Amino acid sequence: MTAFRPFTWVGSTLAIALVFAFFTSTQETPADFRYVNSSGVHTLDPARMSWSQDFRVALNIWEGLTTSDPRTTQAQAGAAMFPPQLSSDQLTYTFTIREDARWSNGDPVLASDYIRGWRRGMEPGTGTDYTFLFTDNVAGASEYVHWRQRATGALTAMDRLRHGWDIDEQAALSLSRHPIFHDIQPHLPPSFFTDFDRDQGVALAKQLSASTLDWGDLYQRTFDQHVAKMDQRFSTVGLEAADDKTLVVRLLRPCPYFLDLTSFPSFLPCHASVELLRESVAGLTPEGLVVYDPQWTKPGCRKNGYPGLITNGPYYVSDWKFKRRLRMSANPFHRAFDTISSRTIDMLVYENTSVALMAYEAGEVDFLPGMDVPYDHEIAKLAQTGQRPDFHICKTFATYFMSFNCIDKRIEDRPNPFIDARVRRAFALAVDKNAIVNAVLQRGDLVAHTFIPPDALQGYHSSSGIQMDVAKAKQLLDEAGYPDGNNLPAVTLLYVPSDERVCQALARMWETNLGATVELRCQETKSFAEDKANHRFMIARGNWYGDYYDPTTFLDCFNTGNGNNDSGYSNEAYDKLLNRARNTANTTQRLSLLAQAERIIVEKDFPIIPLLHYSSPIAIKPYVSGLYPNPRLRFPFRYVSVDR
Amino acid sequence: MIRHLTRRLTWAMVTLIAVYVITFFMVVMVPGQPFQQSDRNMPIEVERALRAQYSMDNNWLYFWEFLGGAVKLDFGPSFTYNDWTCTQIVAHALPISATIGILAILFAVLVGVPLGVISASRRNTWLDVSIVSGVLIGISLPTFVTGAALLAVFTVAWPILPIGGWGTLQHLPLPVITLSLPFIAYICRLTRMAMLDALSSDYIRTAIAKGVSPHDVLWTHALKVAFLPVLSYVGPATAQAVTGSFVVEKVFGVPGMGQHFVNAALNADAGLIMSTVLVFSVSLISLNFVIDVLYAWLDPRIIMAY
Repeated sequence: MTAFRPFTWVGSTLAIALVFAFFTSTQETPADFRYVNSSGVHTLDPARMSWSQDFRVALNIWEGLTTSDPRTTQAQAGAAMFPPQLSSDQLTYTFTIREDARWSNGDPVLASDYIRGWRRGMEPGTGTDYTFLFTDNVAGASEYVHWRQRATGALTAMDRLRHGWDIDEQAALSLSRHPIFHDIQPHLPPSFFTDFDRDQGVALAKQLSASTLDWGDLYQRTFDQHVAKMDQRFSTVGLEAADDKTLVVRLLRPCPYFLDLTSFPSFLPCHASVELLRESVAGLTPEGLVVYDPQWTKPGCRKNGYPGLITNGPYYVSDWKFKRRLRMSANPFHRAFDTISSRTIDMLVYENTSVALMAYEAGEVDFLPGMDVPYDHEIAKLAQTGQRPDFHICKTFATYFMSFNCIDKRIEDRPNPFIDARVRRAFALAVDKNAIVNAVLQRGDLVAHTFIPPDALQGYHSSSGIQMDVAKAKQLLDEAGYPDGNNLPAVTLLYVPSDERVCQALARMWETNLGATVELRCQETKSFAEDKANHRFMIARGNWYGDYYDPTTFLDCFNTGNGNNDSGYSNEAYDKLLNRARNTANTTQRLSLLAQAERIIVEKDFPIIPLLHYSSPIAIKPYVSGLYPNPRLRFPFRYVSVDR
Repeated sequence: MIRHLTRRLTWAMVTLIAVYVITFFMVVMVPGQPFQQSDRNMPIEVERALRAQYSMDNNWLYFWEFLGGAVKLDFGPSFTYNDWTCTQIVAHALPISATIGILAILFAVLVGVPLGVISASRRNTWLDVSIVSGVLIGISLPTFVTGAALLAVFTVAWPILPIGGWGTLQHLPLPVITLSLPFIAYICRLTRMAMLDALSSDYIRTAIAKGVSPHDVLWTHALKVAFLPVLSYVGPATAQAVTGSFVVEKVFGVPGMGQHFVNAALNADAGLIMSTVLVFSVSLISLNFVIDVLYAWLDPRIIMAY
């Protein structure tokens, strides 16, 4: 063998040179404006979005009936005339879509495109986190969504049964809540069933799994009936296209922030071509879900004659390389096209936030909408002292807190002391929030005494909350039967790795100030989410980002039975106040009722201890204009101009 | 030879199936559901329906459906990145990692082997000592340190290369060199030891006695035997390099496979976990297989052992 002779080296070198040559041929021209999104886009489907980095792209490529002002993020004109007509009872909005509103392929934007988009936001499985924005506000939406959800629950269970598989109690309970159960019940052994608890659910699941009913027939009947009724049921939702350009929205109750909502991604329109990618027989999967081929958000998707993603915003997606780069180009059919200075925008992905910052420093990118680096306290200092005028601090509309389990009497093997509000209050009083914000984190966050960030909402008067008071805390513990922390069971504190320092500090405060024993339990995020949702915690970390400019975006979390009420908190007075506010048209009165409700949770009951309101540093190159730091981190790029 | 290869191939299949079975059960057993990626809770009916839609409420069915898809290279949807299928994600990431990996291994062999040979032939000289200590440093220093150091030198102190990302020629050198450093060190050490062994053997003495030039003795006669351990190391090393290094990719912002190994697990993204593991296993097993064949060709005595 003659390996490793000089010519072999030459050959290998040539091979490498070839690879290099291949690469140089794929050079990409840089965009007019470049920004970083450290983890990339999770989805471009507005109905499924949950993350602000996804919202940011969506709000640039689509346009809602309203949009948000780049400085104040207050609602301003969008694809519809502004302001829309509002009926005297404040329940009916009539939006007139602009004559010049066009999709990126030139089609006119129609009222039905908005209905299509909104319907996707309501459909179970298609709409995810923000279905509640419709069910809470649009007339008939709640009934429609629950009707759909009940049906998917029952169809899923029967689909399993007709295949001869056993079902569990959860599926059995879902089935028992559907009208078809009236046909099933007579065939089951006569017994106690009207409304089921968990144990009865187990028994029911066994009976159903063992029964000899003709599940195939029952399933098909339910499925056919459901499909036949779907459109008719949807027509009862308060959305109507009076003509091509007129959208009439009937609300459940007066909603002072509705025009803010219509600028939110869930309320974006959807082009008719999406229907080409609807998967499933008769429009539904066997489980009763409406499913679209997830490829519909790709500019290059050509399945079934689909023309690729069509949007109606100032930009359209011209190229999307997974986890690498998403390029937006100005939409030539948009009315503002001539005024758009940055014609191409690159969203670049750097998994490592430090690398993103280095790229910014090197001038490879122009804008960092977040700087979540390990040395964030240094960044905060640079921004606050004015040493780096291009670093800005955004006081976000968000709160970081610890929540208590207020409902379960026992957790694992021990009693839960936090069902007693006095104990929760004592724990809240014993926390030195200033130390956490200024000594532990040092990121320049705002100490939180309330759940809703103060001064964020016009006309809303926040409570001043409570100040640290160890003596009072001890007294409360004493009253609750735990003098000096005696008899107090060991308290578990559940959190995710990023909370490590805060939770250690908290544990220390509770141990020294109250004599409590605190067990720290750090979990990776998925296990954490599961344990928290199933109430397997005593104290757990939490945070909440307001979605729209109204106190209810925060306060609804503690409504009895709200899906995000992980504390299991329930207070009749609180629920009543929220309910009264819902039916109060007068803004001042309404806000004062909501402020009263907030006082219940931050002065008296403490389902949570608010710790801080996040301050989020962003970096904007001095040569960029048209970007403004704002609490919702919304950045419309059509106003951005770059003068390098 | 055929018998040898058939035997290896069978074992490769068995290994692959075992990997799938074990990964599958680990994925099924981990807590947390993949459909909800945010902090908000999902209605139970909807979660159940989604689970059913992907056959995830019936492990046995899911096991076969995923396997059936995987055989056709269809790994199903990713639950973290709703708009992408796992196949698309792997198809985006694997070529990137492979380019870096192959170049890194090539670079490591081209640098590591000569270093090893030189070091062995100049045993106990200052050259040998400095190579050996350099290698020790190369093995001990983690890539996130060397990567960061290279970044500091070539992008900040002397800005001739871009900081991170992918798409141009300039994006290649830093990750390739960083990834290759530990491989260089290891290959150099292997070569050195094997060369020392070979140089003291009888056939080399014979070759020298027959008047073969020192250059040929070193680079042809001795290296041919000494290269075998390097070859057996290069196989798995290539698989490891090709499927991406989480650290190197993270440091240089390279959108390769490495990040998915970690993120998929953290997000409980079942399909993505299994597809990354399967892709890794297939590359590892097939590269080992290729190495086996090469080995048998370089040293026929190996087949005799079977």
